[in-house]
Amino acid sequence: MNRVGVFVCHCGSNIADVVDVEEVVAYAQGLDGVVVAKDYKYMCSDPGGKLIKDCIKEHGLDSVVVASCSPRMHEPTFRSVIDDEGMNPYCLEMANIREHCSWVHKGDEEKATKKAQELVNVAVEKALFLESLEQSEIDVVQEALVIGGGIAGIQAALDIADQGKKVYLVEREPSIGGKMAQLDKTFPTLDCSSCILTPKMMDVARHPNIELLTYSEVEEVDGAVGDFTVKVRKKSTYVDWNECTGCGLCAEACRMKDKVPDGFDMKLGDRSSIYTPFPQAVPLKYTIDPESCIYLKTGKCGEEPPCLEACEIGAIDHEQEDEIVEINVGSIIVATGYDLLDPDELYEYGYGRSEDIITNLEFERIVDSSGPTEGKITKLSDGEDIESISFILCVGSRDEEKQTYCCRIGCMGALKHAYLIKEHMGDEVDINLCYTDIRSFGKGYEEFYRRIRGTDITILRGRPSEIKVDPDHKLSFNIFDTLTDKLLEIESDMIILVPALVPSEGAEELARKLRISQGTDGFFLEEHPKLKPMDTVKSGVFIAGCCQGPKDIPDTVAQASGAASRAMGILNKSRLENDPMIAWVDTDLCVGCGVCVDVCPYSARELNEVTGIAEVDEILCAGCGACIAACPSNACIHKNLTKKQIIRMIDEVA
Amino acid sequence: MSITDLTSMAKPEEEAKEDINEVLNGLKEDVPSFCYQCGKCTSGCEAFILLELEPSKVMALAKSGFIEELKDSDVIWTCLTCLKCKERCPQDLAPVDVLFALKNLSVSSGKQIDSGISNMLQSVLSSGMIQKPKEVRDHKNEGVNREDTGLPECPKPSQEELAKLQQTLMKVAQEKLR
Repeated sequence: MNRVGVFVCHCGSNIADVVDVEEVVAYAQGLDGVVVAKDYKYMCSDPGGKLIKDCIKEHGLDSVVVASCSPRMHEPTFRSVIDDEGMNPYCLEMANIREHCSWVHKGDEEKATKKAQELVNVAVEKALFLESLEQSEIDVVQEALVIGGGIAGIQAALDIADQGKKVYLVEREPSIGGKMAQLDKTFPTLDCSSCILTPKMMDVARHPNIELLTYSEVEEVDGAVGDFTVKVRKKSTYVDWNECTGCGLCAEACRMKDKVPDGFDMKLGDRSSIYTPFPQAVPLKYTIDPESCIYLKTGKCGEEPPCLEACEIGAIDHEQEDEIVEINVGSIIVATGYDLLDPDELYEYGYGRSEDIITNLEFERIVDSSGPTEGKITKLSDGEDIESISFILCVGSRDEEKQTYCCRIGCMGALKHAYLIKEHMGDEVDINLCYTDIRSFGKGYEEFYRRIRGTDITILRGRPSEIKVDPDHKLSFNIFDTLTDKLLEIESDMIILVPALVPSEGAEELARKLRISQGTDGFFLEEHPKLKPMDTVKSGVFIAGCCQGPKDIPDTVAQASGAASRAMGILNKSRLENDPMIAWVDTDLCVGCGVCVDVCPYSARELNEVTGIAEVDEILCAGCGACIAACPSNACIHKNLTKKQIIRMIDEVA
Repeated sequence: MSITDLTSMAKPEEEAKEDINEVLNGLKEDVPSFCYQCGKCTSGCEAFILLELEPSKVMALAKSGFIEELKDSDVIWTCLTCLKCKERCPQDLAPVDVLFALKNLSVSSGKQIDSGISNMLQSVLSSGMIQKPKEVRDHKNEGVNREDTGLPECPKPSQEELAKLQQTLMKVAQEKLR
């Protein structure tokens, strides 16, 4: 049994005001195996550390119990204190008498003190059998993977690549650019979105440290921080991209020319079956969409597919198959962005019942001079001129039955659109903007809002209950303006809905592959909402942009750079130390049944091919304990959390 | 309460507000405090155009505790119970149920309610129907005997059913008044 020292912290008044620290010390002194017990105002301070070190020396301690705050707070501090004194850092046990005791039992000092004593008692029982553990080390693969090629992924990839590390950038569409490429202008500066984005896309294309894997999706992720193995499916484009020059003759020749709804243009325009999403696509290579290609669907396209004839260099290959690429990286950044909520979920707003009721993202394509209408704003139903346009904000946002949160970009986006409409159409058109609260929190946003207020636009505070769709395309709605207490009837030729943001399609599947968590809203969960906003529960996996929650472009770019910096923190090391508090196998007891292999969520268990006995991969094991609970022979043991320790701990309080 | 409404010198009534919240809790509905005044309920309120019922204003007053003026107002009796406000509220609130709570408060405080409404109540108690079936009229707008037209007989409650309805209604009314 170890010689144990107990150190009780006052945490200023945080603990001492509720728990009688002296009584806890007196109690600890009476416990079997405890050779010394002390208290101090701030055990985490330098004098507190010195007190512990002195006692280790003076009393020849084998292990230390610190009764203070949560181990999440100061376990690393006290480990380094005892390490300084030459004690193995894993011979430390913490009793949490702050979060688990004093903070939650204010007003009941007597019981709180008794609970603190019991927590110390239990910690001592464990400390009696703590053993010295040695950290293992792994080689770090100094390359990174970025999943998602929107502005967040682009920024993160460029930041890492600029610092000299290789980056794989995986994007499921044929081109990088994401949602930002679909925007016409950006608020509040009204920069042309593609004018500021395309140079960055070109930087990615040219960068010697970036390997682009577009039209690709992550299939499988194995391994752990410092050494992930990722399988990426490069979907077949049916075009040899090494040969394709992006000339576009194939798309001109395609029999489906102008017949396939163009996803990039929100299906408001049409493209060919062989396509590139937009003229500035990176890479500028053509892809055949197998859903609409006549040849791929039927095996026949006239005498011969016209694209084959049009492509002089013979890059088109209808027989091409998907390819699985395996890559090895030390760190992963997830930047998979968002989708818009389908406004049809709010049936009363009539989306889908009239072509003139559209989303803000559809309007981005309409107002964009390179969009399907070349920037001309007319009614989508009959091409007639427009006299009135209305906006409805918060469609499904801040909604207890849809998305409970604010989309953070809807207000500013709508104000920007109002400005752009004025710019395109002058005062010929009436603009009505129905808001609930204008949230103009960003830098320069309030100033932009003021500027729009000064223009000839009707801003109404209220929310329509329903949109009436007339058989002859006339749209109207009633809105109660809460500022004037008037119920207004508004006829509009076009209604722009501003829907909530939701995690992009496939987020759940990706979370499962990466073993990261999602919040109740489906967005990827950060490890700490304030202090670790880019980290996830999975060490080495970071998140950036709207996949973590709705945000505007400046915040997205800032977070992407932050995530890149967090990833660099790993990539800059050549070796990583592993937490040694993991599972090990008592080879005398193991019968090689393989239950542990089945239950391990980290693929850290394997049966030795020669001996048939289970082994632990020390790099992959996360110390979760699944195998320990499952092992029918008691052969799986958690280092420094053995059954003997746990049973003694329970016995003390039972 | 340190707040005074300077137009009426009224003070927020915490107790009445709590009474309403308790009713809502019993119905598993959230209380008006969650309302952020988007006004969607009033935009679609069937009773607003003619009768000036503003569900969002009702929510705001109930949230602030100005219950007296609501309780005494005739407007709360104009709700058509179409339930649109409850169905479409983005915060999952139920202005229609707040109005019911207010109407109950109003009656139990002894306020004389509108004669149209008390007539309806009397009619339900005596015949089981809100109003008597209308006379059948022909295309010249002359009254005819219903039986002669071949229309089925008007359904109406049996004596036993009516007695049971009356008992139940009286029981509910007594409970409310207690």
